Amino acid sequence: MTDILKKEMNLSASVLSYLFIAFGFMFFIPGYPILCGVFFVTLGIFQSFQNAREANDIVFSALLPIAKRDVVKGKFLFSCFIELCSFVLMAVAVMLRMTVFSEAAVYRDNALMNANLFALGMALLIFGLFNVIFIGGFFKTAYKFGKPFVLYIIAAFLTIGIGEALHHFPGLEMLNAFGFEHIVLQLGSFGTGALCYVIMTLFSYRRACEHFEMIDL
Amino acid sequence: MSIVTVRDLVKEYPAFRLNSVSFSLEAGRISGFIGRNGAGKTTTIKSMLNLVHPDSGEIYFFDKPLSEYETEIKKRIGYSTGTVNWYPRKKIRDIAEVVKCFYDTWDEEAYRRYLAMFRLDEDKTPLELSEGMKVKCNLLLALSHKAEILILDEPTSGLDPFSRDELLELFIELKKTGVAIFFSTHIISDIEKCADDIIYISGGKIIAAMPKADFANRFSINGENLEQTFLRLERGAQND
Repeated sequence: MTDILKKEMNLSASVLSYLFIAFGFMFFIPGYPILCGVFFVTLGIFQSFQNAREANDIVFSALLPIAKRDVVKGKFLFSCFIELCSFVLMAVAVMLRMTVFSEAAVYRDNALMNANLFALGMALLIFGLFNVIFIGGFFKTAYKFGKPFVLYIIAAFLTIGIGEALHHFPGLEMLNAFGFEHIVLQLGSFGTGALCYVIMTLFSYRRACEHFEMIDL
Repeated sequence: MSIVTVRDLVKEYPAFRLNSVSFSLEAGRISGFIGRNGAGKTTTIKSMLNLVHPDSGEIYFFDKPLSEYETEIKKRIGYSTGTVNWYPRKKIRDIAEVVKCFYDTWDEEAYRRYLAMFRLDEDKTPLELSEGMKVKCNLLLALSHKAEILILDEPTSGLDPFSRDELLELFIELKKTGVAIFFSTHIISDIEKCADDIIYISGGKIIAAMPKADFANRFSINGENLEQTFLRLERGAQND
């Protein structure tokens, strides 16, 4: 497992994938749709897929003495690694905004979504969408990634839009909770997002393995 | 003793059929896989590497079926192509550093020896190498994990006559160490220069798979050289 991840990180990855992890810090920006940061992180991962295709990475990997599903596993491990690195940055931002900055006027007077546990759950949901729509779509051919990426962009921005809008609907204001307000709801929404991420990623990985096994390279 | 057996390989595409391809390869021999463009050479090679899925047929390496022992078999074979570059912007050193993790048979001393023999600079990227050096770079990786058979898809394609000659000389040297070499080509002089066996494919069918001398005895007429024989056979196949 570590060998294939090492190969992804040292040979296949674009440096942008690593740099774009820093977009996790966008959770600190007031008056900005913070979930766009999640999209930028996945844009960085997309660059690695592009890089890999130019370098004939998939065929090279398939020629290594590993099972074909390990080629798929490498891509998922790398993508999840980048996603979780940026998630840690987002989590740090959320923790600080829930504690030290919970009363800061710059965050309180913000028409857009607050960075709380619900936002973290939404971030994981968007990462899950990337893993299902983009990575899953890519492995249908192990070559074409334009259509899966466009579909992912549509799904991601719809999700961002819904996430930003929800707390403006009557009865859903508490989704924009500050500090530890409505903590059960915040934890519940975060847990739901995390569960969606795990289920979507595992589902996509299995389906991608099946597709990749059938493809002629 | 056969170390590779390909039996009744069939792969159907809308406009092409690989038709019951069978042949075997032996240790310490060079087998030239010849056929015109589109004859089925690359499809056969890709099937042997499990990159394409044949509709039917069997492939055995070292008496083990590829379908069941793919990982184990791939540790003992090396693949190179003259037409594809891996990671063109990565240094050879970095590529080798990753590749060695996958082979418990990796021999660092052999790696250094071939690096010197091929006059490759580890700090160069494949993009900075000439076509001939790119093939050597792929061979370097294959030989450093002690591949017992080298499967080479058009390794001489795009090489100048001097680099081609140099590469074919290298094949002869490698053969002496017991390595089996299976290389596809559409350049008949490559076969004349170094092949022990000829596997001739035309229109997806194996026309001949035999030692070079036997091939000449059976197919050449009136003192033809190999090139003239192949051209006549191909023209005959076209007229059929």
